[in-house]
Amino acid sequence: MLFFTSVGRIISFAWKNIIRNAWIGLATVLVLVLALLSVNVLIGVNALASSAIAILEQKIDVSVYFVPETPDAILDQARSYMASLPQTNRVTLFTAEQALEAFKERHANDPSILDALEELDENPLGATMIIKAAKTTDYPFLMEALNNPQFSFAVESKTYEDHTVAIGQVQQIAATIRYFGLILTIIFTIFGALIVYNAIRVAIYTQREEIGIMRLVGASNAFVRLPLIIDAIFFALFALLISMGLIAVIISVGEPYLLSFYDGSDPGLKTYFTNNFLELALIQGAIISFVVAMASWAAVGRYLKK
Amino acid sequence: MIDLQNISKVYGSDVHGLRDINLTIDPGEFVCIVGTSGAGKTTLAKLLIAEERPTRGKIKIGGWDITKIKRRDIPYLRRQIGVVFQDFKLLKKKTVWENVSFALEVSGETNKRIREIVPHVLKVVGLDQKAHRFPHQLSGGEQQRVVIARALVHRPKILLADEPTGNLDTINTADVIEVLKKINDFGSTVVLVTHNREVVNSLKGRVITLADGRVISDKKHGKYILQS
Repeated sequence: MLFFTSVGRIISFAWKNIIRNAWIGLATVLVLVLALLSVNVLIGVNALASSAIAILEQKIDVSVYFVPETPDAILDQARSYMASLPQTNRVTLFTAEQALEAFKERHANDPSILDALEELDENPLGATMIIKAAKTTDYPFLMEALNNPQFSFAVESKTYEDHTVAIGQVQQIAATIRYFGLILTIIFTIFGALIVYNAIRVAIYTQREEIGIMRLVGASNAFVRLPLIIDAIFFALFALLISMGLIAVIISVGEPYLLSFYDGSDPGLKTYFTNNFLELALIQGAIISFVVAMASWAAVGRYLKK
Repeated sequence: MIDLQNISKVYGSDVHGLRDINLTIDPGEFVCIVGTSGAGKTTLAKLLIAEERPTRGKIKIGGWDITKIKRRDIPYLRRQIGVVFQDFKLLKKKTVWENVSFALEVSGETNKRIREIVPHVLKVVGLDQKAHRFPHQLSGGEQQRVVIARALVHRPKILLADEPTGNLDTINTADVIEVLKKINDFGSTVVLVTHNREVVNSLKGRVITLADGRVISDKKHGKYILQS
């Protein structure tokens, strides 16, 4: 009971401190918000880069075009062999007819190609096999595997839709953003800690009379220290609340603009933040609270040593 | 109760606040410590509440050696020594009741105990009818009595009053001294640091005179012997 009474008093003192030093508190919260926003920009960039890479990876495949009238047995053999490789994720075989239909569909708006096809008596296309690798690094191996003499003679051509350059570029851009973002985060965190340190020192200065009396009448150091540490944690939690709100607004407003960069696919930003909201809030809340509590601890400690 | 052995306090390399002080104050005594400005009275008071540490010597309070007291133990010492200063040190935005209860709140006392203790100490200092007034609504003497009430909430064995009447007129001074005598009658040791000749002479008690950081006189029934 006494414990709760003391905790209640400490929180009450802390809250009064915040009200008395509202402007300093506001400035402190603002810098902490910037620190948290920069952390979340980093997280967002990671999420966007991951989804961009996933989309690009989806687009990589090997298309194998067989000569027309390749026997089904050869086609089945090629498919079975490629599907049996652990480096293969999926093999799809289109017959010559399906390949022709797909070709027509792809060029539905190009009458000259369609007319040229009409001129031909026979289906000029052979069967097509699309192979997706388990990992992007497996494609060179699969290209090599297609040289298998059991069916390689029937392969007319093969194309490798190589997006590895684009993936590399996305990874590089993401790494650069992460690098500068990390520097920005460290700077804002240090600023935040310093500002909290000074805010607490100002709070001590404005309440020096009250704190002096507290010490004079036998208040324990913890009773002097804790309200000021709780002040700092209040600042951190306010900042967390504001930054989370801002992030929600920014994502809601901004994500539709990202759709064009993702070829109409979901950039995954909202999904990522929604699915990981609790974890992100808890981790960031814990870290920022720890940093500001330490800054506050140091500021009060310096005063208490006097 | 209070035992000072060979106490010296040196500021910097050569400013002597106190020089080789040896004193014993017994439980229940009412002791006046007098001296001119710079004699070392306030330094002595600060050593007793561990606001400063002696350069040499040993200080014992109720058998507790506080010479090298740990920082975390100071609050417990201060709950045993009630302190009254010349400049009151009251919180202006708090009422009489709140100023007194504040000392208990920050020491972790229960609300029930606070409701029991505060009216009692306010009655002792004669301010039970003015519990809800703010400091600016009180006379200087009444403000000082609030400070005494606040100093009493922990039932200290020692009450240390450093120039408590320094800012008061004659009538208010008499009121405050009456309260201190009353507290002494209840059994608390009272150490009154003052340079008020009339107060010292009217008390007719033990008078310790300091000059230049040394005890130059210690009389059981002394008088103020210095030139003001």
